[in-house]
Amino acid sequence: MRALDAVDFSALPGQIHALVGENGAGKTTLMRVLYGALDVTSGTVLLDGNEVSMPNSAAAIARGIGMVSQHYSIIPALTTLDNLMLGAEPSFALDRKAATERAEALAKQMGFSFRWTDKAEALSPASAQKLEILKLLWREARIMILDEPTAMLSPLDADALYGSLKRLANEGATIIVVTHRLPEVFEFCDQVTVLRGGKLITTQPVPELTPATLAELIVGRPVEIPSLPESHPGKELLSVREIQVKGDRGDDALKSVSFDLHAGEVVGIAGVDGNGQKELFEALMGLRDVYSGEVFLGGIPITDAAPVKRLEGGFRLIPEDRHHEGVIEEWSLTDNVGLGLQNQPPIADRGRLDRGALERTASAVAERFRTKHGGLDQPMASLSGGNQQRFVAARAISGEPKVVLAFQPARGLDLAGIADVYAALRDVSRSGGGVLVVSYDLEELLTHCDRVIVLCHGHLAEPDADAARDRGAIGRLMVGVGE
Amino acid sequence: MKNGHHWALIIIVLALSIFPIFLTGTPLPDAARSFWESSIGQPRGWVVTLRELSPLLIGGVAVLIALRAGLFNIGAEGQMLVGACAATAVALQMPNVSGAILAAIAGMVAGALWAYPAGWLKAYRGGHEVISTIMLNQIAVRLTAWFVKSPMKDPNQIADTSPRLAGAAEWVPVASFGRAHLTWAIPIGLLLCWLLWYWLRHRVAGYELQAVGANPRAAKVAGVNVSQITTRAMAASGALSGLAGATIVLADQGRFYENISAGRGFDALGVALLAGGNPLFVIPTSMVFAILNAGTSGMGLEGIPKGLSGLILGGLILIVGSLRTKTGGSDE
Repeated sequence: MRALDAVDFSALPGQIHALVGENGAGKTTLMRVLYGALDVTSGTVLLDGNEVSMPNSAAAIARGIGMVSQHYSIIPALTTLDNLMLGAEPSFALDRKAATERAEALAKQMGFSFRWTDKAEALSPASAQKLEILKLLWREARIMILDEPTAMLSPLDADALYGSLKRLANEGATIIVVTHRLPEVFEFCDQVTVLRGGKLITTQPVPELTPATLAELIVGRPVEIPSLPESHPGKELLSVREIQVKGDRGDDALKSVSFDLHAGEVVGIAGVDGNGQKELFEALMGLRDVYSGEVFLGGIPITDAAPVKRLEGGFRLIPEDRHHEGVIEEWSLTDNVGLGLQNQPPIADRGRLDRGALERTASAVAERFRTKHGGLDQPMASLSGGNQQRFVAARAISGEPKVVLAFQPARGLDLAGIADVYAALRDVSRSGGGVLVVSYDLEELLTHCDRVIVLCHGHLAEPDADAARDRGAIGRLMVGVGE
Repeated sequence: MKNGHHWALIIIVLALSIFPIFLTGTPLPDAARSFWESSIGQPRGWVVTLRELSPLLIGGVAVLIALRAGLFNIGAEGQMLVGACAATAVALQMPNVSGAILAAIAGMVAGALWAYPAGWLKAYRGGHEVISTIMLNQIAVRLTAWFVKSPMKDPNQIADTSPRLAGAAEWVPVASFGRAHLTWAIPIGLLLCWLLWYWLRHRVAGYELQAVGANPRAAKVAGVNVSQITTRAMAASGALSGLAGATIVLADQGRFYENISAGRGFDALGVALLAGGNPLFVIPTSMVFAILNAGTSGMGLEGIPKGLSGLILGGLILIVGSLRTKTGGSDE
């Protein structure tokens, strides 16, 4: 299959160039070509007007092209300085003193500050992203490719990151940003290239476009901006009372968290990654001990109920880590659909596994969000990340769920997929269920949720009623200021 | 599963295994004839092959159930020994038909108890089952050796062996062909293969056990009690290994002596690995092992070291194991 079809792309120094498109549009392929990770079957890559061949990423780095992928390549056990140097050490014998001086100069130039001898595990997502950018500068990259750089950042950190990128562009660097977040394109980028189905749709200066026309270019048809239905919350469905939960390192991941989820509600939990979201969902699913406080489902205490009891009671989870928690990659789609539903009819029939029901459920689940697959008997690993996410999300809302815990349900999905998933979550709430959504994208939560609450350092905060949908106010709660 | 690849490689390994025969100086046709006659080419070969088959068949199922749960039961050898020893003790006390049945049950209980600590350590303390079962093997070897040197020793024998079981306490063959006996252990083993296949495919519990084996974290998120299943799978594996050990005494040897299992627990590991996760494939793979064991013992008389079977089997397991890792390893 052709992932890119006769695509022209050019980026100029001094600009931030956005690359947008749906899943499978060819963004990743294009970046990999530019970064030397993939060869073209026809066509050329020109650098400063000269044709270059880049057989691998080492060659790309040597020519001043650097890339930050979505999954940071930082090693937690090494110090910040060692992470910075790793793979590009100045000499055989490490001179950490000289290295620190150079690192400090680069950081100062960018307005960053790091404690070089600290372990990298202590870095926040925003600092890790900054360190990745410094790594490119350390390697003297002039062309920087960033894949979803703000995916894990709070709005304030994202603004600061673009500030740094702007500064680099002003100094003559070429910045290419792949992003799903259209507001960022309009706020910070100079040029935008739209890909769809492996074909170039357009490259235009951003000021020539409006958000609606850009969305239409990406999807290929007019996009309705979803409007939130009026919320009519019913009775309390899930009540959390002053729960305290330990993190993996024995720290207090949740410090006395209380909230209510009402029937008919979709509630968003905003916050920067690592502020207790994972621990909250695990505690609610019974996968992590609650050592103080109580949880009620429809008034009945379930604080210590086993996960299987909660699943039987209508809890469903779209887990954070799809690969390790959501699916068994070597199993077929049919076998995977039973995970979490294996003890309930129609799949379970008094201890017997009804394989016919399993197949019917798998086919319905795959249908629901138009999961692209090569047969239900194919292994889950044969699906792309976005399609796995579609499958996992559809499985979570199959049956009659009461409480859906959705951890980044839109992760890796394109606009159409995101709309599908949230429409389905909305259906759950319409039929009397409740939905809790964790996302690091505040825009996404404000667009789709009835109410947004914030987790910061294990504390839960709810914006004042008059600021309930105020991006700035919620953004400040996310970083723990302005309470 | 793409079995075509596996069988092609097995043939290659067998071909490569011919080289050591050259080193011994035995003419190849003589060696081949000896192998053929002492395994399946002659009735006397069938005597040995069928005797080898039953513990491998049941032991293979035993190891396979643990493998499906993600457990590497190296302890089958020790579990067979304690199973054989316990079965002998019961059968000596009850020299009648009900004793023969109770002895088999005693073997299963002993095997399960011997495996249980390894499963428990893995489930609740994170202790690796490979280490703990190897240790339990060592203890089983010493413990059963002491039993047969002291409380269970036949005073009329010089060698360390238990008294011979009364005829009534031994399992009568299902059918006999001359001196070759088809013992009850073989239909039981075939039935176990089918039962395990059915259970894994058509029971919720079997589904959950395989989820634990494939991805314990995903299984836990799906509401599976991973620790409980790990413990039970290990105990079940031990019970079947114990049964395999019991059949060595009850259907074949008629007595217990030191190290009676003679490495069959480790062979069972190979049988299960070669079967690639499917209990029905245990039937042909245990047969391959039985033929190799019988054939190479026969070749031993021609001066070709019996270690050749270990060499061949080791090669097979290495190749199949590496293939399976590369392809992701499921047979779903």
